[in-house]
Amino acid sequence: MSTLTVDRVSVDLLGARVLSDVSLSVPSGRWVTLVGPNGAGKTTLLRAITGAVEHTGRIGLDGRDVGRFGHRERARIIAVVPQQPVRPDGMSVFDYVLLGRTPYVSYFGVETSADVAVVADVLETLELGALAGRAVTSLSGGEFQRAVLARALAQQAPILLLDEPTSSLDLGHIQQVLELVDRLRCDRELTVVAALHDLTTAAQFSDRLALLVEGRLVAEGRPDEVLTREVIEAQYGARVRVVTDPEAGLIVVPIRADGRIGQAGARRLR
Amino acid sequence: MKHAWALALIALLIAACGDDGAEGDGPAAARPTTEHPAAETAFPVTVGSGEFAVEIEEPPERIVSLSPTATEMLFAIGAGESVVAADEYSTYPEEAPTTDLSGFTPNIEAIAGYDPDLVVAHTDPGDLASSLAEIGVPTLMHPAAATLDDTYMQIEQLGAATGHVGEAAAVVAQMQADIDALVASLPERDDPLTYYHELDVTYFSVSSDTFIGQLYGLLGMRSIADEAGAESGGYPQLSPEFIIQADPDVILLADAICCGVDATEVANRPGWEQLSAVQAERIISLDEDVASRWGPRIVEFLETLAADLAALELLEFEAAQ
Amino acid sequence: MADAVTIHAKKRLRWLLVAGGLLVASVLAGLVIGPAALPWRGVVVEVVNLLPGMELAGGLDERGQAILWQLRAPRVVLAVMVGGMLAVAGAGYQGVFRNPLADPYLLGVAAGAGLGATLAIVSGGGRGVLPVAAFVGGTAAVAATYALGRSAGGRSTHSLILAGVAVAAFLVAVQTYVQQRHADTLREVYGWILGRLLTGGWGDVAGIAPYVVVAAIAILAHRRLLDVLSVGSAEAGAMGVPSTRVRLVVVLAATLGTAAAVSVAGLIGFVGIVVPHLVRMMAGTSYRIVLPVSILVGAVFLVWADLLARMLVSPGELPVGVVTAFVGAPFFTLVLRRARRAW
Repeated sequence: MSTLTVDRVSVDLLGARVLSDVSLSVPSGRWVTLVGPNGAGKTTLLRAITGAVEHTGRIGLDGRDVGRFGHRERARIIAVVPQQPVRPDGMSVFDYVLLGRTPYVSYFGVETSADVAVVADVLETLELGALAGRAVTSLSGGEFQRAVLARALAQQAPILLLDEPTSSLDLGHIQQVLELVDRLRCDRELTVVAALHDLTTAAQFSDRLALLVEGRLVAEGRPDEVLTREVIEAQYGARVRVVTDPEAGLIVVPIRADGRIGQAGARRLR
Repeated sequence: MKHAWALALIALLIAACGDDGAEGDGPAAARPTTEHPAAETAFPVTVGSGEFAVEIEEPPERIVSLSPTATEMLFAIGAGESVVAADEYSTYPEEAPTTDLSGFTPNIEAIAGYDPDLVVAHTDPGDLASSLAEIGVPTLMHPAAATLDDTYMQIEQLGAATGHVGEAAAVVAQMQADIDALVASLPERDDPLTYYHELDVTYFSVSSDTFIGQLYGLLGMRSIADEAGAESGGYPQLSPEFIIQADPDVILLADAICCGVDATEVANRPGWEQLSAVQAERIISLDEDVASRWGPRIVEFLETLAADLAALELLEFEAAQ
Repeated sequence: MADAVTIHAKKRLRWLLVAGGLLVASVLAGLVIGPAALPWRGVVVEVVNLLPGMELAGGLDERGQAILWQLRAPRVVLAVMVGGMLAVAGAGYQGVFRNPLADPYLLGVAAGAGLGATLAIVSGGGRGVLPVAAFVGGTAAVAATYALGRSAGGRSTHSLILAGVAVAAFLVAVQTYVQQRHADTLREVYGWILGRLLTGGWGDVAGIAPYVVVAAIAILAHRRLLDVLSVGSAEAGAMGVPSTRVRLVVVLAATLGTAAAVSVAGLIGFVGIVVPHLVRMMAGTSYRIVLPVSILVGAVFLVWADLLARMLVSPGELPVGVVTAFVGAPFFTLVLRRARRAW
């Protein structure tokens, strides 16, 4: 049970203000997605939560200031799947996922059989058992993404941050990964904060959306509240139609500026 | 060797006039010169031969010496008053005009500043000779002698180059006579005296076919480094194990002045107390200035060494005083 | 799958035993072989007689004993310590900088120690001054690199490496200038720079032992953390590792140990790159194997290099740095070609 609160957080990087006064609350067990144009500060906000960048303001966990936690304590509470994870040479999938147990191993210590058991369990859940002995450098994009997710899960942290986990995946794998995360969220009562590119996908999986534009929180609420035609046009500079479909839910559809559809020879509708 | 100086005297008497220069070979020569120009007047003269030949128009009056040995030679043959500048290591004789000039990294402009009409050097790093030639200054290259004959030849060439041919011949003759007398006074040895000549604290040594090795050879001595000498150009770095096992009769320190090595320090080296030379205190500190040059003072080196060895009862010798 | 950790441990033990056995054999070879031809039986007897209660006959005469225990033995022990230290320092640097070309001299230790040694030699200080000057020079250089890197680019390793290049270039320039002004000491300076173990005695061994042992232990203690660091400091930090502190400690330990090693042995190159790569090629990339095995293999490497240095032109000596370069350079080419295929 962990509620994550972001309270008036600002981040300055290299003299530029990257995040201004962002306040956000993520109730326990919910899925909040950060959306916004490129450079909006989504990744920076996630990094601020993990403590990778310095920030003003307060990030709280169940009321306690996360900044006061020790490195390992924080890692036991917040796990992150980074946008471009490093694939170390010569490391097996098992050892890679075992890295996720680092917050539980003392500074000069070694992993215990309990750690090994956790890893085995996670590998099974994510169907990576057969790949356990393979080198991470030999995995496909989708397989590696599952391995990174497995590593984050091995941290057994109640809060899971995902930074564009689908950017290098195809349609099928995008669905696979996000369905998996949602299932895990239910099974393990995880609180999920994800940065996602695609607005429709974001709408399909999130309880709430937070729209960041140039470091400011511009809108926050349920997907249908945040994703309106006017907001998207104003913040993204894109012409869209927002459609509600009985099967797919909220769909954000781009419309061509000149009203045409298809290429030369196609009829202009309407 | 005994005949060379006689030949020199005869050549002087024959007094070949004209432009024939002294016919020495290049610095690597093993044979002595055979002909000389007339005593004091044969200018212009060509000294050296082949690519090392240097033409000197008139008797030089402003000589710059970048070689400590050449400085000693010049003063010995009476050309000292023509030397206007000598390099920083030209410490002998005392009246030599020592300056800051470097013989290893010569600065052309600094040398030119002395307005020389002859430069003598022992090494040419970076076109010293050609740069000086461009400003009309001849350079005589006298690198380190490989044999005693090289020494004599260099003295003679300097004599020809400076117009002190007679004095040069006399110096050479005296050196040869002194050395012959010294050698003759030593008793025959069946087995040579073995030595370890230390160049620095990392055990660099000399073999018997180096210049100084040949000097030692005159006294009937042989270097323990001979086994290693062939592959290292005569200056091998010896393993301390080997030195201990070879157990030389005498140890000669050429790093006493530069690096402060003395008998006590040698005795304190791990394992060196095993050496008989250490136990009997047969360690001689050499004057590096004398031991590293190949000029007229090699005679002094040999005589001092013989006396020191006699004092250690390694040699039967009495200084002829 | 659940046994993966145990499998690693078993593999590690196997490699440690193999490397350890190789080391024992190499040390024996180093004691038996040398330019002073000592009878090998005599040497073995003398070694065995070290064990309490053993009193075999047939040992060496007094001179042989002096050669063995005062010259050869400290030399071999020094080779073990210096070789092991340089190898583990190199592996440590490679782990911190996540760069297979990192070596223990990366941040300017070599240039600083070289300058210190040069100044000691040209100023005519006694034999005891040289190692101290080299050590001080090496550590001061790395401190300067660190200060420069921090002020330039914060925590980035790139800025540290560039700072190291700048500091090293400057110090080498100063050293060259000093050498030119004292051309008569060139041979001694170059002799030191090329690396040699021949003038070492038990005094040198005792002098560097505390630094080398502490440094090696400090680096070894961080082997698991270096494995975690292989995913980069950002991800490692997110998993609870204080990346900056770990990198600082490992670099500090590696630098101190390297400075101590080169202060008595000179600048012996290639050990810090060749040995960890060799170990990785054979035993895998985990630092939990690479670090301890590199110590042993580095020791073996230098013992044999020193053997060659004193036997190849016997009774003359080659600088041991020349031997390691001759072995290391072709090996380096091999590594590069292998790496290129992987790209």
